[in-house]
Amino acid sequence: MTAVATLLGYAVLLGILGPRLLRARGWADRAPRLGVLVWQTAGASVIAAVVLAGLMLVVPIVQAPHGLADLLAACRLMLRLHYEVPPQPIAGYAGLFVAGGVLLWTAGHVLTTFIATAVQRRRHVRTLTMVARRRGDLDALVVEYDEPLAYCLPGRRRCVVLSTGALERLPDDQVSAVLAHEHAHLEGRHDLAINLAVAFGRAFPAVPLLRAARSEVPRLLELLADDVAARNHDRVTLAAALVTVAGGRTPAMAMGAGGGTALLRVRRLLAPHDPLSRTGRLTGGVSIALLVTLPLALAANPAITALLERHCHFPV
Amino acid sequence: MAGQRFGDLEAAIMDRMWSYGRPANVREVLEDLQQERSIAYTTVMTVMDNLHKKGWLRRKRVGRAYEYEAVASREGYTAKLMREALATSNNQAAALVHFLSDLSPEESEAFQAALNVVRPRDDK
Repeated sequence: MTAVATLLGYAVLLGILGPRLLRARGWADRAPRLGVLVWQTAGASVIAAVVLAGLMLVVPIVQAPHGLADLLAACRLMLRLHYEVPPQPIAGYAGLFVAGGVLLWTAGHVLTTFIATAVQRRRHVRTLTMVARRRGDLDALVVEYDEPLAYCLPGRRRCVVLSTGALERLPDDQVSAVLAHEHAHLEGRHDLAINLAVAFGRAFPAVPLLRAARSEVPRLLELLADDVAARNHDRVTLAAALVTVAGGRTPAMAMGAGGGTALLRVRRLLAPHDPLSRTGRLTGGVSIALLVTLPLALAANPAITALLERHCHFPV
Repeated sequence: MAGQRFGDLEAAIMDRMWSYGRPANVREVLEDLQQERSIAYTTVMTVMDNLHKKGWLRRKRVGRAYEYEAVASREGYTAKLMREALATSNNQAAALVHFLSDLSPEESEAFQAALNVVRPRDDK
């Protein structure tokens, strides 16, 4: 029982305090790839902890198949003892309900998010192939449009789209910086990470961590794409391109006014490049390892205890 | 799939129709296309029929042939598509990852000024 409570406690604490921990001192902005990984792992860890807590309640009511049951007879007794929760079958079925429910609910949201995205994208591409012209020299599709626009369409027929408005305003070096940024999105399959974060956030909007990840992951991926583009392009050129593209936008087209990612990105590109220290990276890596193993360890703890008490010998 | 195979041709035909800016029949489009590729009358006819069914072209019978015309201008389609792209990226699910989403005019002016300061030193 205490193990179940510990797991649920872990999920609640991480779910609520997670955003504050992960945003601490803006470390993720200095290592966006690691940041995305930590956010995603933390989100999955919260969901996994709840599923495992449910499964732990199920263990005592599991009817093992005959052969296995004999082998594990003594072991099961011990396992039952260690996983025992007072009103037996009810708790077991409740656990099954929670674990199965959370799993199905999550999988359903992931599936619908990915399908909705694919449908929307395909519809977009269908019209796009009609109205856009392929510019082989840029490896991009160009649409006749006055607003400066640049975006990419991930997927099977991935492509970068530029508006004539953007091409008119941007000098060549800025165009290639923009293209590098978009190609970083495409090659890194950033759309998959975004979809996953969006699906988790949609499935459990009441969990602060998952809700925060929904905006944090796309933001960090923008920073990551900037960093990748900056490997082969001048940071100031990229910043200038950002300002040009954003500045030429008419008010009606500008979304979510003020204080958004754009501001941060321009500032970040103009400041000297400041990647996270090795210690910082190591901490991030260790955090990921902990986020993966901690729920599993907590769930397996009673079984390990049983094993250590030597009452229970698993036929290996 | 036929749609896939005709995709390029559909785009080429719509490109012609938009550039004419007036109704045209299959033969006119065929002759235009034949200047840069060898293509059969029936192919062009089939694709234009498809475009009509898909709502890109409207047609009326003139004599024994159909006269085709673009339902809406290229600019019209583009504007609608770009508005959609911006709207969907705002709710993120479409993952049409945008180069840039938001920067108010004041912010952008301030940064332009900052860039002008950085640039000269940078260009040296």
